[in-house]
Amino acid sequence: MDATDRLVMPRAGWSTPQRVRALRIGIVVTILVAWEAVAASGLLFRDVVPSLVAIGRALGRLLTDAAFYWNLGVTGAEIGGAVLIGGVSGLAVGLALGANRFLARAYEPFIYYLGPTPKIIFFPIMIMWFGVGSGSKVAMGALSCFFPIAISAAAGMREIDRVLIRVGTSFRASPWQMVTKIYLPALRRPLVNGIRLGLGIAIIGTLLAETKLSNRGIGYLIIQSYSTFDMPKMYALLIVLFVLAIGANALIGRFAGADTSSLDRGRPR
Amino acid sequence: MTARLANSRLAAALTGFGTLVAILVLVEALIRGGAINRFIVPLPSQVLVAIPRIIAEENVLHRLWETAREALWASVLIAVVGIALGILLYRFRLLRSATETWVAALASAPIVLMYPLFLVIFGRSAATIIAIGFVAGLPPVILKTLEGLVGARQVLIDVGRSFKLTDRQMFWKILLPAALPSIFVGLRLGLIFALINIVGVEFLINFGGLGQLINDLAERYDLPATYGAICFVILVSIVFFILMERIERWMRPID
Amino acid sequence: MTSPIPTGGNPTAGVLLSVDHIVKRFTTAEGVITALDDVSLAVAPGEFVSVIGPSGCGKSTLFNIMGGLVGDYEGRVAVGGETIAGTHPAIGMVFQEESAFPWRTVIQNVAFPLEIAGVPKGERLERARHFVGLVGLDGFERRLPAELSGGMRQRVAIARTLASSPRILLMDEPFAALDEQTRLLLGDKVLQIHQQLQQTTLLITHNITEAVQLSDRVLVMTYRPGTLKRVVDIDLPRPRTSEVVGSDAFGHYVARIWSDLREEASRGIREEETRTLGHGATR
Repeated sequence: MDATDRLVMPRAGWSTPQRVRALRIGIVVTILVAWEAVAASGLLFRDVVPSLVAIGRALGRLLTDAAFYWNLGVTGAEIGGAVLIGGVSGLAVGLALGANRFLARAYEPFIYYLGPTPKIIFFPIMIMWFGVGSGSKVAMGALSCFFPIAISAAAGMREIDRVLIRVGTSFRASPWQMVTKIYLPALRRPLVNGIRLGLGIAIIGTLLAETKLSNRGIGYLIIQSYSTFDMPKMYALLIVLFVLAIGANALIGRFAGADTSSLDRGRPR
Repeated sequence: MTARLANSRLAAALTGFGTLVAILVLVEALIRGGAINRFIVPLPSQVLVAIPRIIAEENVLHRLWETAREALWASVLIAVVGIALGILLYRFRLLRSATETWVAALASAPIVLMYPLFLVIFGRSAATIIAIGFVAGLPPVILKTLEGLVGARQVLIDVGRSFKLTDRQMFWKILLPAALPSIFVGLRLGLIFALINIVGVEFLINFGGLGQLINDLAERYDLPATYGAICFVILVSIVFFILMERIERWMRPID
Repeated sequence: MTSPIPTGGNPTAGVLLSVDHIVKRFTTAEGVITALDDVSLAVAPGEFVSVIGPSGCGKSTLFNIMGGLVGDYEGRVAVGGETIAGTHPAIGMVFQEESAFPWRTVIQNVAFPLEIAGVPKGERLERARHFVGLVGLDGFERRLPAELSGGMRQRVAIARTLASSPRILLMDEPFAALDEQTRLLLGDKVLQIHQQLQQTTLLITHNITEAVQLSDRVLVMTYRPGTLKRVVDIDLPRPRTSEVVGSDAFGHYVARIWSDLREEASRGIREEETRTLGHGATR
């Protein structure tokens, strides 16, 4: 029995998009119902799976709490600083490495092999250098997102269709014109993707640092709810966090013109 | 390789390495000269000396084994569950259309931030660490398995049809082999994601192998040792990454 | 309706582009390769010259040298008597690969050289529109290259180069990636443009029919090291209608050029095989 058969001979009145939506709703509803059942049954350690009502209430309390927004602001500012510092430096280094083969051979291995290492282990050093306040969190976030952004920028630089550069040269464009009229437009998609990736990683780096050692920010709130065993609040915080993170990612994607893949090489879809 | 090409590669490598050495020497000089506070940045020479000391005193091999064990468990779970789900999503188109974007969103979501939740559920134990590793490494395996199956070249499928293969034969003899390279890429990614998160969470919850080592030394205020441990863990991570790349290249001789 | 285009070996109506004794060597992993060995040619104003040769004869290298994108060679390239080094505004280049900027519309692409030169917006769009019409893309000004076919994208590239009003148009196998029918149609279009603008053109191609159909002279190159093997004057009336293309004379020209080319192409294939075998033996 192959489910695809049903698609070929559709039931009356149910188009594929409708069925997809129905299935999604079905999955979500099933999960929620199962959750509530587990919560009510007391099977697991009581508060590990709190009832949806409790979570909802905690969410409501959270969103109406001024302190929450203040902490959100702190975290937001830290992430912003991290993306700025890590992003700009990553971009500069990445573009330089992408442009110059010698520099790339000399220094790119460092970035490439340091990339897939857990940056949070640098946190003790960050604390020593930047103190226990927001500085060390920004540093952590910046360090984390520097690498993927640099790697994306270098790759993007290299992927630029060489013929486009030659066109610019053959028309005798000045260096400034080459940068603004050819390099930047050609780099747009790799750069945007790199920043999306960098943002996600900066969020992780900054928040992990907050959970380890901080007295403010969303990470701090999460660990606080852990130590006070306020599970509904922890779930509420995690929900807000994930919604914001995934939302920010989607927003950047939308803003950058989601499907630009076909435009890059001028090939029809 | 002509002499010129080899020379230029050598020159680049030397430049890179040389820059690193030069920076370390500079830092050493600045600290000795008092420009940098030696209680914030230890002498690089001391850090260098601390590394063998750590290896001798801190039972590093055992810790390495701890981390490796956690990674092994996570990998097995990731492989079994990930590939199975990937195949499931391939077979059931409707399910795929419904959930593929969710899995992709999960891949970029900050899953590791859920570790306090897992702490509550599993306590301060290896289970928490393995759980985070599993959740972090799962999405790429699912996605790459799916991608490999969907991306099997149509002409290969047509060949199977022309030989009147049954659904089952089609799957085992054509689809799965065609998807294997992609699956391996997924497994490598998943393993790397898992490992990064495993070591990170070890550090955060102060339990386990290498991550805990750094935490211990940091809390003891043994500065050179802390820096040394971090260097050591970074080295292990790099070696592991290179190993993974070699293995993958060895498994794909035709490229 | 014919135009006074000079035919004959050495054009007497003045020389617009002259290439003298170009020698170009490359250092590669296998040692020093001589891509071009003493290549000389001359193009008169309004002439349409094709350079044809087997793969590996250095045609694209010659193209890049004439266009000023490649340096470090012996010999001299001159436009209107003036030696050039590097890119020159009098020379326009159309590349083999797709080169329309994917992020600019058709009209923006064509206006690009004018934009570089600092022509104000209104005027340059006006002028660009003229060239868009010239290549037959009226109505497509606001489209993006992704929405166009391969042939149309090449037309954008050609219009863009024409918009810079080059005295000499260099084209490196611009139709290589297109299917036969599109090639033929674009070939007609290029003929039209040449007629209308009296544009001096040098076309690099490997397609003999195309070369004979479009050109006043065909220069046949040898396999590496590339040098001029033969100059064939195409003494056929213009415009080159389908009648002309179907005529016996046309066929004779094609046959003659092919016999020269075949020799070089065979030599090329044999040398490639020897090289591949050689590599295999040392592996």
